Amino acid sequence: MSLLVWVMMGIAVWHFTVFLPDRFRGGIVGAFLAGALGAAIFGFALNGGSVPGRDDTELVQAFIAIPGSVIGLAISYFWGARADRAAGIDHGMTHEGS
Amino acid sequence: MTSRNRNLAILGLVVLLLGASAAIIATKKTRLGLDLRGGTELIYEGRPTPKVPKVTSESINDAINTIRKRADALGVSEPEIQQSGATQISVSLPDVKNAQRAKDQVGTTAQLQFYDWEPNVLGSRGPDAPYSGATALYQAALVASKSKPKAEATDIPPDGPSKDVEQRFGGDKKKIEQYYDRRNDTTTAKYYLFGPDKRPLGDNGKPLPAGTTYQPSASCKELLSEFTPQKGKPKTYAPGTDCAKELKALGPAGPPAGSRVVRVPQGIVIIESERQKNQPKTVQNFFVIEDDSELSGSDIKNPKAQEDQQSGGPVVTMEFTDKGRKAFAAATKREAERGSRQILPPGTPKDQAFQRFAITLDNKIVSLATIDFVQNPEGIDGRTGAQIEGVGSIQDANDLAQNLRIGALPIELKLISQTQVSAELGKQALHQGLIAGAVGLVLTILFLLLFYRVLGMVATVALLIYAVLLFALVKLIPITLTLPGIAGMVLTLAVAADANIVMYERIKEEARSGRSIPAAISSGYTKALKAIVDANVVTVGVAFILFTLATAGVKGFAFTLGIGTLVSLFTAVLATSAILGSLARSRILSRPSALGVARERSGWKFDFMGKSKYFFSLSGVIIAIGAFAIAGLGINFGIDFESGTRITAPLQRAASVEQVRSTLDPLGYGDAKIQQVDDPGLGKNVVQIKTSTLQPERVNKVEAALDQKFGVRTGDFSADSIGPTFGSQIARTAVIAIIASLFLISIYIAMRFELKFAVPVLIALAHDLLITSGVYALTGKEVSTSTVAALLTIMGFSLYDTVIVFDRIRENVPRMPRATFSQIANRSMSEVLTRSLATSFVVLLPVGSLLLFGGETLKDFAFALAVGVISGAYSSIFIATPVLNEWKEREPVYMRRRRVVLEEHGGMVPAFATAAEATAAPAAETAAPRAPRSRRERRQRAARDTRPPAPPRAAPPPPPPPPAPAVTDGDGDGDGDGDGDGARAREQKPRVTSTAGSGAPKPRPKTKPKPKQSRGRKKHGRSR
Repeated sequence: MSLLVWVMMGIAVWHFTVFLPDRFRGGIVGAFLAGALGAAIFGFALNGGSVPGRDDTELVQAFIAIPGSVIGLAISYFWGARADRAAGIDHGMTHEGS
Repeated sequence: MTSRNRNLAILGLVVLLLGASAAIIATKKTRLGLDLRGGTELIYEGRPTPKVPKVTSESINDAINTIRKRADALGVSEPEIQQSGATQISVSLPDVKNAQRAKDQVGTTAQLQFYDWEPNVLGSRGPDAPYSGATALYQAALVASKSKPKAEATDIPPDGPSKDVEQRFGGDKKKIEQYYDRRNDTTTAKYYLFGPDKRPLGDNGKPLPAGTTYQPSASCKELLSEFTPQKGKPKTYAPGTDCAKELKALGPAGPPAGSRVVRVPQGIVIIESERQKNQPKTVQNFFVIEDDSELSGSDIKNPKAQEDQQSGGPVVTMEFTDKGRKAFAAATKREAERGSRQILPPGTPKDQAFQRFAITLDNKIVSLATIDFVQNPEGIDGRTGAQIEGVGSIQDANDLAQNLRIGALPIELKLISQTQVSAELGKQALHQGLIAGAVGLVLTILFLLLFYRVLGMVATVALLIYAVLLFALVKLIPITLTLPGIAGMVLTLAVAADANIVMYERIKEEARSGRSIPAAISSGYTKALKAIVDANVVTVGVAFILFTLATAGVKGFAFTLGIGTLVSLFTAVLATSAILGSLARSRILSRPSALGVARERSGWKFDFMGKSKYFFSLSGVIIAIGAFAIAGLGINFGIDFESGTRITAPLQRAASVEQVRSTLDPLGYGDAKIQQVDDPGLGKNVVQIKTSTLQPERVNKVEAALDQKFGVRTGDFSADSIGPTFGSQIARTAVIAIIASLFLISIYIAMRFELKFAVPVLIALAHDLLITSGVYALTGKEVSTSTVAALLTIMGFSLYDTVIVFDRIRENVPRMPRATFSQIANRSMSEVLTRSLATSFVVLLPVGSLLLFGGETLKDFAFALAVGVISGAYSSIFIATPVLNEWKEREPVYMRRRRVVLEEHGGMVPAFATAAEATAAPAAETAAPRAPRSRRERRQRAARDTRPPAPPRAAPPPPPPPPAPAVTDGDGDGDGDGDGDGARAREQKPRVTSTAGSGAPKPRPKTKPKPKQSRGRKKHGRSR
């Protein structure tokens, strides 16, 4: 159950990346994976390499996921920005929508 | 065939089908499921035995045949016995009120065994003194656990070892004896769980009430399956316990400290001794014996229930088959010889040396016959047969004789789920389901008539045809109609209406763009067909997955949904088009207003992609709230997943909650949730009991206790009981079904569109599932198998909307070769939003009627659907398309276009491209036409190039009118004049679009319309 909470929170945080230039590695989908995976990995690490079951899942698990997803998104962003610089393009310009 | 002839042929076929359907409906009976007519459903899991070491589909089929004969003998009409999963059997017995008798008759293994008594009894007490007292079973189990089966010459059949066996073991006598010793075993190793007081533990670690038959388990896992592992320090168990590793893994949630698991090896069995006259029901005595059965139930024939001539009590008599007679004669001869060899102290009567022959039925001694070696020095030849005494009532004797006649089950069966529905509740559910269906149908028809006028009438006719055809199919196949099945039928009404809406919206659009009504119908139908098929293929696929994986009730839903979707495709795609085609040139459809076109000139004026970030944020907040709710409040899983029992018991005498609790307490269910419910159909004194610890095989104990204290109206007693094995299996299949559906959807979308279209679909579906989970956590509503079925259905419906939008994007991409992807997406959204909203609304109509008028089960189902449909519509519009937009905008071609548009508009990208901007290809992208590759292509090009300006039907499709002219002329037509006639004008002018064959790039329009900059639009400062 905690895994679901972490991933949910990671996805929730991902939604707010639309306010940033799209320099994430793999674009918005890459950011989605980074947010969800970051939250899950961080939650897993903070729980000593285990996933708390249904009875052990508490509110704190939802909070734990937030820094995890932010870290995941940050890694994706800087990785993407570096790749953009190397390729001489800026995907950031595409992000503002219409 | 001309279109007129084709339409007539289709209409003729429809009339024929309607006639046939009417005949089927009039003559065939509707088969109602247990939940609608009352009855008992038992689900068993097959377990291996030494003789059938692996449960195969053959052994399951054999068991099904045996059960079918038993059900027939029980006098059940229309029993449904079928394999469910690899090793399970579902037995539906309509109208059966006495569930206990049904269980006894249907699921009892009926293993009749004959044992040479004295040499097989183990332990120091001897063959006359069973283990007795409160800890009798514990003492017997300890002795059994330390015993080892012995291979002896007597294990070999009277005719000697078979040639095969001799060859296999090279004539090694020891090995042959060992082989036959194991072959004689009637059961595998068994595990017993005892509490610190050495009494057996029953459900969920509660002491088993005295007198209750203990059911040992086949493995540690099964024995401890009722305990949910928890983190923390494990309890301390009795020294020498078996399953120590599994107990430790349970942490603090295991059985009480000091408990002990005892394993009894294969070849040793604990059997309950013969009941003496006046022996209290709570007293049980046990023997431990070596499992060397001389003959079994398959060696007898002609079992009959009779009255004993001496005692007058009921007995079951039987004869032996030839093989059985030989085995019986050999065994009794051996006993006679053994008895005669005994040396007794002087003065002791000879009968003290008589040996005995025990007959056991399912590990209980039913007869212990003495072999008088004085009268029968050569044993008994078995011609007179044998008899079983102390059977109980004459009905019990009849049932036993019946079971013995039919034969034993080839495998062991464990009851893992029991559902008992009262006929009254079934009737109520059917009534509520029918009302919900009727209201849903009426609301849908009203909506269609109001919104689409003449087209709505056509849709109504199509819906009625659909309803008749589906109902006839339900009767013809026949599909057993269950409550979830009714929900499926009601939902397919929405599917059928959805297909009509998609088609009509497209027709309206074509008519709005200036086409004549016949042309609009023809073109709209052709264009809508692709989206309809795409969406329905996925729904059928999801229904198939559900049908393959789900349990019986949900299977009914899936089957009805799948069949209904296929029928709706027939009525919407063929019947509707034929009716419309026939009406196209009639006076009824002479004016566009008949299609409801005139009312919708304005279209949608909304910058969907620009504003999507705010909707994204809203979604983020909703999902975050859901995550907090799940973490803090948890999800309330029902007994389908958790295992347990829900009982609705109508009592004859009034009882308070405390009185009911005090009745349940001695049985170990004092902590059950008990509430008094008001149900006019069931009377005044109805109690509902819910407990996670009561297992299927013990439901009738509770019924009996309540009956004794308050009187239960047996016919109206309802129970739904799921064992832990079944519960975890349901949970596992639910997860598999969701993953399989997502996989199927992504594969299909990737094939029909492209891979990049599949990913946003998956993200949108994840949204729907997560938002629905969050809502369930927030509201505390119970999650059941129906909820999972509803979630999977939501996936299909949510996809419908997304496919419609994506289909239009795919169509608009080649039409708008200069537009940025966000402009294409905005245009597409504007064009299809009405139909997306209409399809979602039309689904909500029947769902709403289920929510308002359906019974408890249907309401739960409808709640999940309602949440999912709303979330699905939202995610299709504000999640799937924006994600696709963001991702596609990264592609070099769209980056280039965006750069050009930014330069042209002073660093801004207008929400909607003007018609000229959208269609004139930028120089960079206008390639010289490639050489024609084939003669056919050359001919086509030549014809195209020499054609006069294209008439509306022949021309490649012009860009549809921009309905949201945020940056154009204000009338939405893109022609700059504001009069709203742009679309028509475009159709009559040569196309401006640069296409292959036109040669040089077209000049851009000299006057660029000044974009209206909407508030909140930002500059794109990072263009390079």
